[in-house]
Amino acid sequence: MAALPRRIIKETQRLMQEPVPGISAVPSETNARYFHVIVTGPEDSPFEGGLFKLELFLPEDYPMSAPKVRFITKIYHPNIDRLGRICLDILKDKWSPALQIRTVLLSIQALLIGAKPGRPTCKRRSRAVEGE
Amino acid sequence: MSAESDMEYSDNDGDDYDYYGGQDDCDMETVDRSKADPEYFVFSCLKVEEVEKLLNESIELLSNSLHITPSLAKVILHAYEWNAQEIINKYKENSNEVLMYSHVKPRVPSVQVYSSIKVCAICATSPPIHKYSALACGHYFCNECWTTHFEVQIMQGVSNNIQCMAQECEVLAPEDFVLSHVTNPTLRERYQQFMFKDHVKSHPELRFCPGPNCQWIYHAVAREGARRVECLGCELLTCFTCGAPHHAPTDCATIRKWLTKCADDSETANYISAHTKDCPKCQICIEKNGGCNHMQCGACRYDFCWVCLGDWKSHGSEYYECSRYKEDPNLINDNQHAQAREALKKYLHYYERWENHARSLKLEEQTLACLKTRINRKVMAGEGTWIDWQYLWDSARLLKRCRYTLQYTYPFAYYMEVGPRKELFEYQQAQLEAEIENLSWKVERAETTHRGDLENQMDIAEKRRTTLLKDFLEFNTTNASSSKV
Repeated sequence: MAALPRRIIKETQRLMQEPVPGISAVPSETNARYFHVIVTGPEDSPFEGGLFKLELFLPEDYPMSAPKVRFITKIYHPNIDRLGRICLDILKDKWSPALQIRTVLLSIQALLIGAKPGRPTCKRRSRAVEGE
Repeated sequence: MSAESDMEYSDNDGDDYDYYGGQDDCDMETVDRSKADPEYFVFSCLKVEEVEKLLNESIELLSNSLHITPSLAKVILHAYEWNAQEIINKYKENSNEVLMYSHVKPRVPSVQVYSSIKVCAICATSPPIHKYSALACGHYFCNECWTTHFEVQIMQGVSNNIQCMAQECEVLAPEDFVLSHVTNPTLRERYQQFMFKDHVKSHPELRFCPGPNCQWIYHAVAREGARRVECLGCELLTCFTCGAPHHAPTDCATIRKWLTKCADDSETANYISAHTKDCPKCQICIEKNGGCNHMQCGACRYDFCWVCLGDWKSHGSEYYECSRYKEDPNLINDNQHAQAREALKKYLHYYERWENHARSLKLEEQTLACLKTRINRKVMAGEGTWIDWQYLWDSARLLKRCRYTLQYTYPFAYYMEVGPRKELFEYQQAQLEAEIENLSWKVERAETTHRGDLENQMDIAEKRRTTLLKDFLEFNTTNASSSKV
C-alpha cells in the first residue's frame, strides 16, 4: 500500500488530540484508512443514552471522493436502512474535498437529532416516523 | 350560342384543368413537400466535425460580443441551453446575474486572502505560494489537489459540471482551467469527449442518433409533436422531439406511456391471459395448478368446471360432459374483476397487433434484403437494368414505411377516447391495414405480379397512410383547426 497521505495523518492526529464531544474515532491497527467509530445518542433525541458503533473507510482517492460510512449497531431511523447504510447528501452528491472525517461524523450525529423523512433510505421507517 | 357548344367548352375546360392541375401537384411536391407528406420535417444529419463547427460558431459569437474567453462562453452557453442571443441581451441588462446564474461567479465570494495562504486545506501540505490557484470564487487550493480533483471527476464522467472543491461552492471550472491542470493525455481526451456529448445533449437543436454505435447527429429547429428524422448512417427513424423511435400518429407523451406499459405489463398480462380464468361466481382471478378440471374457488368456495365454467354439480353425478352450449353469456357482472379482465383484454388486443406488425416489419426487412440480391442477379443476367427493377425496390421500401406507420397507430387507438373520432380513426386504420396486407402479398410475389398492378397498390397504400396522418397527426390537426379559426 502506498504511503499514507499527509492529510489523513493530520486528520487522525487531530481526532486523537482534540476529539469531538460524543464521538470517538479510532483507526484500525492493521489499516490506517479504516476507523472504528462510536457515536453517543444525542440529548433530547430518541437515541439519547445509546451507543452506536459505526465503521468508516477512507477510499483510495480520499479526499477527492467521500468516505464510506455505515452503522454497525442496528438503528431505527428513516435515513438509515437495515444494513446500516446512511442517506446523507454530503456522503453522496454534496461531497466536497474540503470536508473532513470530523465534519462527516458531526453531520451523522446531527442526523440522529433531526431525521429527514422527506429523503428516506427506508420508506417504511420514514412513514412510521411521520406518523408519530 | 347553343347549349351544346357550351357543354363542349366546359368539357374541354375540365380536361385542361385536370391536366394542368396534375402538373401543379407535381410542382407542389418539389416546392413544398410539407403539403404532400404530412410527416415532413426539415432537419439535417450532421457529422461530429460539422456539429463542432456549429457549436464553435456560437462560442465565438458569444466570446466576441461579451469579451470573455471561449471557455467561459461554453459554461454560459451550456447553462442557457445555447441561446446566444438571449445571453447577450441579458448580459447587457445585468451581467452579474448572467455570470452568477451560470455559476461562473459565486453568489457569496470567498474572504480568503491570497497572500495569507500557508496550508492547502485539502492535502494539508504547504507548497510555495505560486503553486496555488482558484476559480472566480477565490477558494485557493494547491495545484496538485486541483489535478487529482479533476482526474477523479473526469473518471466519473463529469465534464461541464465540475465544481470548485470548497464546501457548498457551486462555481464551475471552465475548460481552460481544467486542461491547465490535467496533463494525462487519455484523461484530457476523455474530458473533451464528455464535454462534446454534454453540449449536444444540452442543445435544443441537436440530438444524437440513438442507433447503436451511430455517430450521426440530427440538427433541426425543435418543435412540438412527433417529428420524423432519418439517420443517414443507420437509416433509423427517430422522433426529434423525444428521441424515441419515430411514432406518428401517436404523440410523444402517449408513446412514452405505451412503451413503459408494454415493458411493465406485457409479460404479466400474457401470463394472466394464458393461465388464469375468473371465478364465474366472484370473478376472482384463478390460476390452475393441477390436472383436475373440478375447481373450487379459494375465495368463495364455488365449485365449477374449468373447461366450461359451469356449476360442477351438473357434472359430478352425471356423465362428464361440458361441451354443452353456454346458455347464459351475460353472466359477467360489471364488478371490479370483470372490469380488470376487460381492460386486460383491451390492452392485449392492441398489444398483440402492435407486436405482430413489429414482427412483420422485421420479416419484411429480410424480404427487402433478398430483393436486393434478386435484382442484382437479374441485372447480371441481362434481364433489364437497375432502373427497370427499381420499382420493386421502391415497393418494398414503401411497404416498410406504411407498415411502420400502421404499427404506431395501435398505441394511438389504445389511448383514444371512445367517440366518432375514434370510429373514424379505426375505420381509416382498417383501410390502411387492408391495403398494406394487399401490398405485402403483392411484394412477396413481385415477379408474378404485373408491374402496373403493383404500382397501383403502392399508390393506394401510400394515399391511405397520408390521409390517416393528415387527419390525425397532432400538429397537423391543431394547425388545421387554428387556420379554420
